[in-house]
Amino acid sequence: MIVVELVESPIIPFQSSNDHKEKGSELIFNGRVRETEHGEKITCLEYEQYEGMAEKELQNIANETQNKFPVDDIFCRHRIGVVEVGEASLHVSIWSKHRKEGLDAMSYFIIELKKRVPIWKWAILDSGKKIPSECKHE
Amino acid sequence: MIKIKIKCFSQVRYALGKDEIALELDEGTTSDDLEKMIREKALGKLENVTLGIAINKKYVLDDTKLNDGDEIAFIPPVQGG
Repeated sequence: MIVVELVESPIIPFQSSNDHKEKGSELIFNGRVRETEHGEKITCLEYEQYEGMAEKELQNIANETQNKFPVDDIFCRHRIGVVEVGEASLHVSIWSKHRKEGLDAMSYFIIELKKRVPIWKWAILDSGKKIPSECKHE
Repeated sequence: MIKIKIKCFSQVRYALGKDEIALELDEGTTSDDLEKMIREKALGKLENVTLGIAINKKYVLDDTKLNDGDEIAFIPPVQGG
């Protein structure tokens, strides 16, 4: 199963479960907002999306990931709007039979998300000034 | 002539000061032609910014011919996660 969602309120993690008898690996990743950007203190980040394209691209990447790696479930929630320092901006949960394919799938999914999904960050500085985040993902 | 709409995000919006731009262009204009125009409008502020191109919310290759009614976005490096 694949579920991808862009949400505007604090992320509620996907439910864990003890009932998946054939899935030996449950991987969870939370990406969180750091309090500094290039040495400068921020109060929060504001995420903007290209509406109508971001969620579609996220879905495409999840489909590709499931085609490339034998994983059962990919669940992803990504925040849009203001995200306070320390809060999760990204939550991904991947279920698979074994750990290796889950780890490979998680890595692929997040790398592709950071390359392709049209979402951007604006840093809100202590002074209240809003500037495009300079954070670049490799 | 064709009418197109440009959606501006992140550094592109910051450089141009606009969310959206409507333009009338000559038939046969390509995404590369439009990118050159946008970079000129930005007065150097997009000089070191790599831009991907999406037409009607789909990534396209360079130098794609534009059509009447297209929605174009020049995509600066994305920052999800």
